[in-house]
Amino acid sequence: MTIGDWLTESANWAFLFLAIPTFVASVMVVSSRNVVRAVLYLVIALGGSAALFLMLGAEFVGWTVVLVYIGAVIILFLIGIMITRAPLTKSVDLSHPISAKAPAALLSVLLFGVVAWAVVESFGLETIPLPEEATRTGEIGLSIFTSWVIPFEVVSFVLLAALIGGIVLARKDEPAEVP
Amino acid sequence: MIVTPGWYMALAAVLFSIGGAGVLVRRNALVMFMSIELMLNSVNLTFVAAGTGLGLIEGQVAALFVIVVAAAEVTIGLAILVAVFRGRATANVDELSSLGG
Amino acid sequence: MIDYHAILPEIILALTVLAVLVTDLVTKDKYYAAVVGMAGLFATMIPLLTLALCDDLAGCSGELPRVLFGGSYVVDQYAVVLKAVFVFAVFIALLLAVAYLESDRYYEGEFYFLLLAAALGGVVMSSSRDFLTLIIGLELVSGPGFLLAGWRKGDERSNEAALKFFIIGVTGLALLLMGVSLVYGITGTQLFAELAATPQAIVDEPVFALGLLFVLLGFTFKISAVPFHVWTPDVYEGAPTPVGAWLSVGSKTAGFVGLLTVCYLAFPQVSNLWGPALWLAAILSMTVGNFVAIQQTNVVRLLGYSSIAQAGFILAPFGAAAAAGADLQQAFAASVTYLVIYAVMNLGAFGVVIAVGTRLKTYELADWSGMYRWSAGLAILVGAFFLSLAGIPPLAGWFAKLAMFSATIAVGDIWGYSIAVVAALNTVVALVYYTKVVKTAFFDPVPDTIDVAALEGMDVAPPMQLALGITAVLVLVLGVFPGLVSTLAQYSSEVVTAAGL
Repeated sequence: MTIGDWLTESANWAFLFLAIPTFVASVMVVSSRNVVRAVLYLVIALGGSAALFLMLGAEFVGWTVVLVYIGAVIILFLIGIMITRAPLTKSVDLSHPISAKAPAALLSVLLFGVVAWAVVESFGLETIPLPEEATRTGEIGLSIFTSWVIPFEVVSFVLLAALIGGIVLARKDEPAEVP
Repeated sequence: MIVTPGWYMALAAVLFSIGGAGVLVRRNALVMFMSIELMLNSVNLTFVAAGTGLGLIEGQVAALFVIVVAAAEVTIGLAILVAVFRGRATANVDELSSLGG
Repeated sequence: MIDYHAILPEIILALTVLAVLVTDLVTKDKYYAAVVGMAGLFATMIPLLTLALCDDLAGCSGELPRVLFGGSYVVDQYAVVLKAVFVFAVFIALLLAVAYLESDRYYEGEFYFLLLAAALGGVVMSSSRDFLTLIIGLELVSGPGFLLAGWRKGDERSNEAALKFFIIGVTGLALLLMGVSLVYGITGTQLFAELAATPQAIVDEPVFALGLLFVLLGFTFKISAVPFHVWTPDVYEGAPTPVGAWLSVGSKTAGFVGLLTVCYLAFPQVSNLWGPALWLAAILSMTVGNFVAIQQTNVVRLLGYSSIAQAGFILAPFGAAAAAGADLQQAFAASVTYLVIYAVMNLGAFGVVIAVGTRLKTYELADWSGMYRWSAGLAILVGAFFLSLAGIPPLAGWFAKLAMFSATIAVGDIWGYSIAVVAALNTVVALVYYTKVVKTAFFDPVPDTIDVAALEGMDVAPPMQLALGITAVLVLVLGVFPGLVSTLAQYSSEVVTAAGL
């Protein structure tokens, strides 16, 4: 398949239209010197991936990402910034010096190269019609409550533990109140 | 509708490496958390793209579980971060609080 | 129809976790929450016993292994042994924590709740035979671990330990999940039994090997093996010491359960890929851990590095057998045996460190000098646990080492012999610092700064006495009766492999 063929397909244009902002926003998240701005770029990156989930037919996952990540996790991050009083203006000492950055950047480029090569090598780039059975939300519920009951129950304990432990660690201890 | 799962997985590889670079390079704990979120999100993208490519629903189920785990992790991480900053702050805030009543 | 008998331990433990939370809410005296927790742990042991002894019990039908949910949850002998280890570890950690938490202002009820929740994660992990269940279980072990590491809220070192542990732990989780998603993408399954039957054409795909690499890296973080070990001593030192005891045993066991189960059950056909990696990690872990441990002056840090070295010993037989392409079952049994005995003796070692630490208010080895003068009992326990970790007969550690060496030598080949030689040299190195601790406690003169009369008057809190008593008796019994250890090894090697399903 030539690049010309690839570009004539509208789904590929939609993919590019979503993938490029997601990529750029992700780069900005890790490189932004301003923490609040990093959070806002994270919104774009996650919103882009939510749209990509919709394109893949995973509607339930896509909307869950919108609700849980963009709705809740981002707010948590903003609250975290407020409570910890992280510097809201540009700060220079946010990152390692350049000398420490170079090997890390090299490592991540290497990581990308290896993973992307292996993925393309193994999965190929052939285009398939969106499978009908993979898009039904009802299937997800059925699957969770037949095959994945145990992880579903256990994950509720993960959330409960995170909630209770999080409250204890984050709450302010009154000096007068001796338990 | 047609899709090319390979491209989605390649994009996931990009996002994963960007997140990994963020964890390695950045010192700010909040930005490190965000980088980890990027990595987990790219895992979701791989799971869902793989599931769609195979025509199986398990990829989406796995992605949902990863989302829940990631949410729990953010809660834990931010609670720890608040504790860290509170410990640091008390050293100089104690003196200020007596002024503020 | 769900086999409720098979998952009864999980159900009881889950109810206990909730009961502890409610007890904490309604009682003023937080001690009751611990009592409820311990009662629940005892109750959890009962179905574990009935599952193991089902053949001999009247009115009990069905024997192990019990397969649930289409093979994604299997209760076999191996799972029962490890569930018992998790329940035991959390029981001892609870006993150690009760006195520790009451000595200062801590949140108590929530502490017990998190500890028991972590035990539930471990119990679920032991039976998990698919990646999703395994990872959620692992998450339930590590999530509370991050929180508990920061439980000394006023202490900056504890806060930083929690932060460090969290960032490293979650990065490891992300790597692990990426690996799983890649493997799932190429094979289309997360079930270990189906992964083990992957056709050769798919195994040869680069993504399969890459996914496996990520999975291994993710677990290496969790078992604190070299090269991802640097967080271990800092976290054990910064965390409240009973939490250090739990992390060094429970959290590490969870990592090992994951690693061993995944390698043995999901990827046996590519043992030539992961075998050399584990072999190398084993050699590096024992060498680095031991050589750095020698230089430590803080007992908790010493135990941290010693636990890295012990992780190397645990991995050694399994890694060598896989690398050489030998029979995995014997090596698997040796690794699990070592893991179980390590759990008992390391809990004891941490227990005695906590008992001494609550008296001295410091964990510096120099202050342990002449412990025999002011507490002969504690000094003897120091001797028992540290010499057991060193592998001196007639203590349990001796059989662990014996199982490890005989399994690696049985592997033969250059892989087996080389790691046996390295392990032998390392055992000698380890002997140096373990005996240094014992020598300090018994023969060194008491420093002038220590008030012997005041220390003599202090008692070890009853829960701590119980914890030390149980672990000491076990270390002795396992060391004196070799039949027990060989039964244990035999029992824990009975795991349902792909061929058996």
